[in-house]
Amino acid sequence: MNIAVCVKRIPKTAEADIFIEKDGSDIKKDHLVFYLNDWDGYAVREAALLKEKHGGEVTVITVGPEEAKEVLTRCLAMGADRALRIEEPPTQDSYLIAKILSRAIKNQAFDLLLLGVQAEDDNCGQVGVSLAQMLGLPHAAIVNHIEIEGDKAKVRRELEGGIEELTELKLPAVLTIQTGINEPKYVSLAALLEAEDKEIKDLGMEELGLTLSESVDTKIDQVFFPPVGKMAEILKGNPEEVVTQLTEIIKKKKG
Amino acid sequence: MKIDPKTFIQDYLLNICIQCGTCTGGCPVKFRSPLNMRRLVRQTYITNDPSPLFKSPELWACTTCSNCSLRCPAGVKNVELIMAIRNLLANQGEVPSTIRDALENTFLQGNPWGRFRDRRADWAKELGVKILGEAASETLLYVGCAPSYDPRVQNVSTALVKIFQKADLDFGILGKKESCCGNEIRRMGEQALFKKLTKDNTNLFKKSGIKRIITISPHCYNTFKNEYPDLTIPVQHYTQVIADLMETGKLKLSKALDLRTTYQDPCFLGKQNLVFDEPRKILTFIPGLEFVEMERSRQRSLCCEGGGGRMWAEGGTEGTRNGEIRVKEAVALGAKVMATACPFCLLTLEDAVKISGLTSEIVIKDISELVAEAIDENPITKFQAPNNHQ
Repeated sequence: MNIAVCVKRIPKTAEADIFIEKDGSDIKKDHLVFYLNDWDGYAVREAALLKEKHGGEVTVITVGPEEAKEVLTRCLAMGADRALRIEEPPTQDSYLIAKILSRAIKNQAFDLLLLGVQAEDDNCGQVGVSLAQMLGLPHAAIVNHIEIEGDKAKVRRELEGGIEELTELKLPAVLTIQTGINEPKYVSLAALLEAEDKEIKDLGMEELGLTLSESVDTKIDQVFFPPVGKMAEILKGNPEEVVTQLTEIIKKKKG
Repeated sequence: MKIDPKTFIQDYLLNICIQCGTCTGGCPVKFRSPLNMRRLVRQTYITNDPSPLFKSPELWACTTCSNCSLRCPAGVKNVELIMAIRNLLANQGEVPSTIRDALENTFLQGNPWGRFRDRRADWAKELGVKILGEAASETLLYVGCAPSYDPRVQNVSTALVKIFQKADLDFGILGKKESCCGNEIRRMGEQALFKKLTKDNTNLFKKSGIKRIITISPHCYNTFKNEYPDLTIPVQHYTQVIADLMETGKLKLSKALDLRTTYQDPCFLGKQNLVFDEPRKILTFIPGLEFVEMERSRQRSLCCEGGGGRMWAEGGTEGTRNGEIRVKEAVALGAKVMATACPFCLLTLEDAVKISGLTSEIVIKDISELVAEAIDENPITKFQAPNNHQ
């Protein structure tokens, strides 16, 4: 079974100080560290687990700058066999990324395409399902369990309120992978250094029949911090007093 | 994957084990986990393929306190064996998820908690501390990860700055260029990452033109002193520096602390590096302080369970924590303060005080905090001795 996993290199922002570029086009990134998108890590691990079970090859694909090769190296260390980096257009949106990926994947014999549900930076969650539409393949989003039976994938989808949907797709299919579907392994520095020797293929936009100035439908007007809302109420006093105040508030709100 | 046990037998001298059981007898987690060092050494020695043995989760319970190897009459390298097994597991990616996160965080941000690298020196912002690179000094205060980021342990860093400034000791810190020392990283099995850290840190130290290094944590002290192959700059633990400042009359303490105080020897300072006297000298030097020794002290000090990556491990042990046992021993002595000289001891023992419900009986303090307290009438910490009559 041949699997392609589309991944993204993202800046880690959870603990970082965030500044906005002067022109308001984006956040400043030169002081940030970059990593493999969390969701994609689960997708790559899932592909490696499926490979262990069913054989075949895992190919990882990213659209990104030269530096994005470091996340591909990580994926190779995680068990991927082949890696492809596609040149990144200067302006892009989810639709264009899906279009680029669909061109790269179109004529290749993959049984399964895995993507993270969304990326940690923009959280759009659009590439996976757009890609399925463009390739004319069945898809399931927010998948947290996969079983392959013959030419079918039996999957569980996470819905709201702790409910799951069981569904069946005919292969080839596109699945967007939810965190927690597996337990990603630690990738040691030794394994990363070893994976650095593996080949990563580069592909230009022209080779996909596209140009670097493809039009995009979504344009970022301005990036800004969320406006500061009303101050939270901080209860003062010793633990006993705080608890008394808190229970009063809860009682009141309960009506 | 089949593993050939020969390298383990040769490298860690498993063949000279006489099965006396001294290692297990002295193990601080023997009542807390199924880890049995004597059995592990024997089983690794007699098997053709130790890989199933290495899947036991209790291998992560070891705190690398080194009681076993230090007491072994034959010279088996037990702790090195544990680290080698963990290295094998790390290279296969088979580490517990919290350990995995700590290792990834260190790779990305230079500290196991994954806190933002640029914020490493935020604690020192208002203290007028030299940042090496921007200003010159021959003495580096290597802060370390917990004293840089943990709000409780930042108090120790601040206390030391106050002490050194009071004693007119010229020093600087590396600011946001400082990275993890790697002591715990090596003990969690990530040898390659440890090697990278030793190389990067050694180069940074050399480039900074420093002539000596002072560490806050005994863990950093241990690895710089014993495990950095190309580091020739002398390393001191801060207790050695303060003891010296007191003996030479450069640091004078004017305020009396009328406190019955005992001391927990950190494993990486005490039994592993034999720094026993300096912390005691400091405590007895503090005016008014009454120093009492616990029955198990110095080489026999009970491990707090904070070492060997246990700060980032979850579960794997059961029953009463050593910290709780230790705190109760101190309370039985009538001590109002249990002093220590290690960030991990400080955190684990403080947790133990809370868990045991002894917050009105005893407080845990780093030695530096007590010294800073005794410097003058304007304490940086709101120190209050516990009062039983509250």
